[in-house]
Amino acid sequence: MTIDEIREVILEIIRDIDDEADLDNLNSGEALRDQLDLDSMDFLDIVMELRKRYQIQIPEEDYPQLATLDSCVNYLMPRLKAA
Amino acid sequence: MIIGGGLSGLAAGIRFARFGQKVLILEKHTKAGGLNSYYFRKGRLLETGLHAITNYAPPENKHAPLNRLLRQLKIPRRSLKFRQQQTSEILFLGKAALLFSNDFSLLLSQIDEYFPESTRNFKAMIAELDRYDPFLPRPKISAREFVSSFLQDKLLVEMLFCPIMYYGGNDEHDMDLSQFVILFRSIFQEGLFRPEGTIKDLLDLLQQQYKDFAGEIEFSSGVKEVIASDGKVIGVITNKGEEIRCDYLISTVGVPETKKLFATTDSAARFSKLDAKKLSGRLSFLESIYFFEKSACKDFPLDRTIIFYNLNKKFVYQRPDDAVDLNSGVICFPGNFQEDQHDETLQMRVTHLANYELWRQARDDDDKSLYPAMKTAWTERSKKVVGKIIGNYSENIVYEDTFTPVTIERYTSRTQGAVYGCPLKLKDGRTNFDNLYIAGTDQGYLGIIGSMLSGVTVVNQHILQRI
Repeated sequence: MTIDEIREVILEIIRDIDDEADLDNLNSGEALRDQLDLDSMDFLDIVMELRKRYQIQIPEEDYPQLATLDSCVNYLMPRLKAA
Repeated sequence: MIIGGGLSGLAAGIRFARFGQKVLILEKHTKAGGLNSYYFRKGRLLETGLHAITNYAPPENKHAPLNRLLRQLKIPRRSLKFRQQQTSEILFLGKAALLFSNDFSLLLSQIDEYFPESTRNFKAMIAELDRYDPFLPRPKISAREFVSSFLQDKLLVEMLFCPIMYYGGNDEHDMDLSQFVILFRSIFQEGLFRPEGTIKDLLDLLQQQYKDFAGEIEFSSGVKEVIASDGKVIGVITNKGEEIRCDYLISTVGVPETKKLFATTDSAARFSKLDAKKLSGRLSFLESIYFFEKSACKDFPLDRTIIFYNLNKKFVYQRPDDAVDLNSGVICFPGNFQEDQHDETLQMRVTHLANYELWRQARDDDDKSLYPAMKTAWTERSKKVVGKIIGNYSENIVYEDTFTPVTIERYTSRTQGAVYGCPLKLKDGRTNFDNLYIAGTDQGYLGIIGSMLSGVTVVNQHILQRI
């Protein structure tokens, strides 16, 4: 997967979790939770969706690395390369 | 695997199934719903449990329990139509009355009007409650002591406790402050609503969602035995004698009820050292449902959703000495929510505290006419008391049904008909068995939204992270 494809995957998962999320004005360097008004329960759904779709296990200690859209891409890049 | 297809079991099931996990719900009865279900009599659908759902929140409040729950279950908020309450009332006959609605400022202004000396302290109490996190594990704190430390007016204290105890009091007289905070928020600060239609529509929607995610549910499948070994649950044996194995088990049937399912005394003792009888809640209710022709209801308080009444100065919440305590009660009009559904009949439900033991004795008596006669007699007495509050209604009834604590026990499996479960709550849902969790009423969440959030939380916190 390319960087753009990974970004699209994440945005699609967020849209799937909250169909009213405002993704057009998203700043990719800022925390997703604050911008989208999501809580930890929603955040878990991002992790679970990634697991369901791509069979990647994300341990809890890695969750902070998924804080922003940019850091998500960085974290997932090596893991989704072959996908 | 999940024992119980009530709201917490369905919610937990949806969470599992949503992420492609194989999950089976075992439901003892022929329909889903548990404490909040329905039955048919003479072509009418009668609801059990549901009067009004607490925790109303507008769609834009994303962090409100209602909206968080719907996102977790992947049910779009816009696909549901909610009807908010009109006005409800706490009525201490001949003493004082307080109105409240989903606009919290109504209650504030009512207190300002009728208890002006308490206004300042009431606001101080709200500020303290707003800061309180009821989900943190901590030792029990008396809610009555907390409220009385702010409010000197004893009548006001009793009035505030009346709806709160009726909506979730699992123990007599008092409750844990955390539970009080949850209930205060969900009843007064968030508010009451109903989904359009009946509880059946909500249950159908949840079951459809569950099935769409490929979740399985078996009806008429009670659990006879939980098989455990070495601190782990291996599976269950159903009342049909079938053995089903599982990796994880969630029981939504209650703490004392789950304890009874262990085959060996060792396992039962490991689950809880407390005697099942001591674990059982003591509070149960007598409830009557009445149907009226709408034309005959002109004098009814059609702008009232629920009236919580009390005849004395002090509100007594305990198992009564008599079969029923008519000194207080809940009068609910399920039709009196905003946006009239234009039903041809009007419904009223009346609930009183009742003594399980006396009803059980009557049912088990050799004289089989005793129990029905007792039911009729108490229903008639209830009509007289409630008639004093809303006007006489007996002659306009077109259909009525009454259920007692033993009916509740039979259909919900709650020991002693204790709908709010046992006073001991397992706040984080964990047990002494590595793969057994408790969800629903005995996890300490309350009401329909609470029980569903309980199912969701147990799956999120303990199981999704492990699979």
